[in-house]
Amino acid sequence: MKHWMFCCKDVSQKISESMDRTLPLHHRMFIRIHILMCKYCLRFRRQLIILREAARKIDLSPEALDSALGLSQEARDRMKKTIEAQSA
Amino acid sequence: MVENKDAHPSKLPDPETWVDQYGDYLYRFALSRIKDPGLAEELVQETFLAALNSRKNFKGRSSARTWLIAILKHKIIDQYRKKKPEESREDMEIFPDGVDHMFDDKGSWIERPGKWNTNPMKAYEQREFMDVFYRCLSDLPKRLSKAFVMREMEGQSTEEICKNLDITATNCWVILYRARMHLRHCLDVNWIAQ
Repeated sequence: MKHWMFCCKDVSQKISESMDRTLPLHHRMFIRIHILMCKYCLRFRRQLIILREAARKIDLSPEALDSALGLSQEARDRMKKTIEAQSA
Repeated sequence: MVENKDAHPSKLPDPETWVDQYGDYLYRFALSRIKDPGLAEELVQETFLAALNSRKNFKGRSSARTWLIAILKHKIIDQYRKKKPEESREDMEIFPDGVDHMFDDKGSWIERPGKWNTNPMKAYEQREFMDVFYRCLSDLPKRLSKAFVMREMEGQSTEEICKNLDITATNCWVILYRARMHLRHCLDVNWIAQ
């Protein structure tokens, strides 16, 4: 059987896993060698990193939000009442 | 995720002050994803109620605002999911969790990852990217999207996710792998190809 280092399916799984835990050094080396030869897995890895950055950064940047907007007074009062009723 | 910078865990303020402190921010956030103001308000209210009921789970590792936003995000994804017609929701149930269909017998890519020329970090592309991103996320089977949100949006460790979802570490890595595979593929098709 061929080593997993030559299989995109196995490598893609290892790339994903490397984002969730520290892989053993030799696994990381196999991944590196593979992506030197395979542009699709290289792309895959870059895109997973883009997904992570997008999910973590963009989503919380307050600058991206329109600061002129706010809850209406009515909604505000309603929510306060509901919270008060629920926490009592 | 905005981590708490100092070593002391942050405290959750009194619920009675939540609306004044976080209401507008949560509302703006919801409105940036859900265009309907009435619905955005509803989601904010639901978020406050959910937060009230799970106050005990707040561990103070992130700020209260970050914690509330995390709850709101789950509500938004549920909302996107609800918007889908009945038919596609059925499809979702038979949607294969696995990734076998993405590779051939030898384990090579069948649909090769496409080139992403555009960078989602650029401000002018954010809104469009996030829209497709949320739609793709809501297309995932629920447990996959849940794990992905915990890991990538909330920055939880796999240990925490295992505990929360009551699964083994190996299972957790597999679920995250599948979530990333499907999400990446969905973005390849729906965002990049536009």
